[in-house]
Amino acid sequence: MNEEIKRPLLARLCGDMTESDRRNLNRANIWLALWLVSFAGSTFLIKGGGAAGSGPAGWIVAAMPIAVGLGAMLAYGRYLRQADELQRRIQLQALALGFGVAFFFGFGYRLLEKVGAPVADISDVSIVMTFFYFVGLWIGRKRYA
Amino acid sequence: MNNRLKVLRAERDWTQARLARELDVSRQTVNAIETGKYDPSLPLAFHIAAVFEQPIERIFTPEPADPDGH
Repeated sequence: MNEEIKRPLLARLCGDMTESDRRNLNRANIWLALWLVSFAGSTFLIKGGGAAGSGPAGWIVAAMPIAVGLGAMLAYGRYLRQADELQRRIQLQALALGFGVAFFFGFGYRLLEKVGAPVADISDVSIVMTFFYFVGLWIGRKRYA
Repeated sequence: MNNRLKVLRAERDWTQARLARELDVSRQTVNAIETGKYDPSLPLAFHIAAVFEQPIERIFTPEPADPDGH
């Protein structure tokens, strides 16, 4: 059987990794999943109003995803510091693309808004950043395959 | 930079995955070095030299100089 077909799906999606990279990335992904859950939970509680919608409880609920996000950031930083050197390069190039596009898109779009483009939300910039980060990862995997 | 990684690996009948395990890097890294798409860091180059028990300059050689000086 073809070696590529025999490889587990996850290995094909993530590319080849050392054991420590896999462990560190899994840890970062768990933090990211926790952040998604806390963000969705906080959004639900705040939009639902009630005790969590305002006052000190509201502030705590709203700050929760930021605290969890800090954990995700630290876990990703650890992965990046200890990563296989080619993986680190691919990650940094993807981050540079994501950040660069979002930065210039963010500032550039403010000018477009002034000439009639629909008003964008700050989360739209985050979506652009995330999208181009994944494009950067895909380019890196292709480039060094 | 040119390298003899593929030749040295073949002499030992090692797969890329086996060499990757010896070096504690991914197989993709070994492949990228062998195909010249990626030049390893100095610590990794020394690690490679130690694994193959050869001086570093017998594994890695600079690209021939461009006669036009570019």
